[in-house]
Amino acid sequence: MISKLKTSHIWSRRLFIISFLLPTLALFALFTVYPLIQGLYLSFFDWSGGSETMNFIGLDNYRELLADDIIPIALKNDYFLVFWKVILIMLFAVFFAVALTRLKLKEYGFYRIVFFFPNIISVVVIGVMWSFIYNPTLGFLNKFLSLFTSSPVDTNWLGSPKLAIWSLLPPSVWAGIGFYMLLIIASILAIPSTLYEAASIDGASQWRQFTTITMPLVWEQFKTSVIHIVITTLNGSFIIVKLMTEGGPDNQTQVLGYYLYQMGFKQFHLSYGATIGVLILIVSLITTLILHRVLSRETIEM
Amino acid sequence: MNETKAKVPKQLLSRSLIRFLLLLWTVLVLYPVLWTFLTSLKDNVQVMQGKPWDLPTVLRFENYGNVWSRAHFGDYFLNSIIVTAGSIALCLLLGATTAYVLARYNFKGRGVLYFVYVASMMIPTTLGLIPLFFLLSDLHLSNSLFGLILVYSVGTIGILPFAIFFLVGFYKSLPKELEEAATIDGSTYYGIFFRIMLPLSKPGLITVGIMNTLTVWNEYIMATVLINDPEKYTVPVGIAIMQAEMQYRTEWGPLFAGLAISMIPVIIIYMIYQRQITGGLTVGALKG
Repeated sequence: MISKLKTSHIWSRRLFIISFLLPTLALFALFTVYPLIQGLYLSFFDWSGGSETMNFIGLDNYRELLADDIIPIALKNDYFLVFWKVILIMLFAVFFAVALTRLKLKEYGFYRIVFFFPNIISVVVIGVMWSFIYNPTLGFLNKFLSLFTSSPVDTNWLGSPKLAIWSLLPPSVWAGIGFYMLLIIASILAIPSTLYEAASIDGASQWRQFTTITMPLVWEQFKTSVIHIVITTLNGSFIIVKLMTEGGPDNQTQVLGYYLYQMGFKQFHLSYGATIGVLILIVSLITTLILHRVLSRETIEM
Repeated sequence: MNETKAKVPKQLLSRSLIRFLLLLWTVLVLYPVLWTFLTSLKDNVQVMQGKPWDLPTVLRFENYGNVWSRAHFGDYFLNSIIVTAGSIALCLLLGATTAYVLARYNFKGRGVLYFVYVASMMIPTTLGLIPLFFLLSDLHLSNSLFGLILVYSVGTIGILPFAIFFLVGFYKSLPKELEEAATIDGSTYYGIFFRIMLPLSKPGLITVGIMNTLTVWNEYIMATVLINDPEKYTVPVGIAIMQAEMQYRTEWGPLFAGLAISMIPVIIIYMIYQRQITGGLTVGALKG
């Protein structure tokens, strides 16, 4: 009797757990996991959308990838964006985070709210807004620069092969700083204030306190933030490219993500698009692993 | 004596310099947004001929009516609301149930399951974009708002893993005695969750809901890939289409009114819930 009751109890517990986990897991598997696996699978086929025409071609897509002249340009641009975004975003984010927490300003709350604001705006709005700032004839930037020059400035920021990729940086950095600033602020606030007090008594300057207390203790968060910027840039920077330059002029702002989008949804070279997706995955994993190694320091436990 | 005297003005100087830089960044952040709202009220002549920083000479409020009805932003707005509300509701239901069990029950495979959800946040999901498009069309869900809701709530944009990750932390923080007392009272497992734990986790659900609302409301790439029927465009897709058409007909005021329409709900939500938004983000990120 008791054991029966117990088994029925075990079963009702089991049933409850399954009923709470299974719907989520099934939908997640179908809409998140399956597309990723299918993407890998597709990269070994030649397929342009029809149902009968899917041919297994082994590594041919990968050979095409290696021979494709646009891939190195896209990779270079991806790393250009990754490199400068990491440097500029982290520089500003750390500076603002330290300034707002260590100087104990009254306006702390105000700045915190304002600086995070660009992060909540849609990338579409940011793209359109900045396209117009860069507009050669009507745009804010050229009109502003013209105030200081004798002849009107008519630089075509997004249309010039040399300037276009640089012009994509300000909107990306502008929109990224707030989030990472908040992360750094949170980890600075977790540092016991006694450490700073002791350092002040010892006569350590603000700069010295920054290099010997703040940076070592926020390092883990710093590392996580850098890796997060790398992943989101490799994965998502193509949206700003799509909205502002469409990879142009002449592929000078091409990035892997947008090349995938073009191959998949404009030229219906679907399996090749999927292969670019695999390349993005591999590049992200390798970069993340390397950064983990390079940025690893001994963590300081408190 | 001399030393300290020299130190104070130097400190004051660096403080002022930092204050100046903070103010400068404030201007750089807020001005483009303010400028968008101002431009949304200008007429075409002023945009083409005037200085971009001039205030509108005539206030063209009709730009908003124009973009709302003639450019169908009213429809896009409604679509965006349907998609956002549906995605958040589904994501919270699926996320909260899974997070609760992961946080409060011991069973085989718990660690693995949690790891799979959390790790999926770190994988570049662009790889899944093309297969996802064909999956939706196989399921006869392309060009449908319901299909978009499914993709948002459980698909590759990652709001479900975030919800699970955040809510597992939240459920773990609730005291164990609550369930024990309820079990003694003879409540069923379902009763405990729906009558006790779910109401208790309201603050966590609000934080996750708000943050995911922003993500979904602003989402562009899935919407533009999966929706080709103009009647089902969301606001971001509508804006991008309108910008692309600017090459043929120039209506700057209405375009900027479109940008403003997209930003207004976000700004309102941010003003009301900024504590949850900034707080939720950092708590979530620090635990990871």
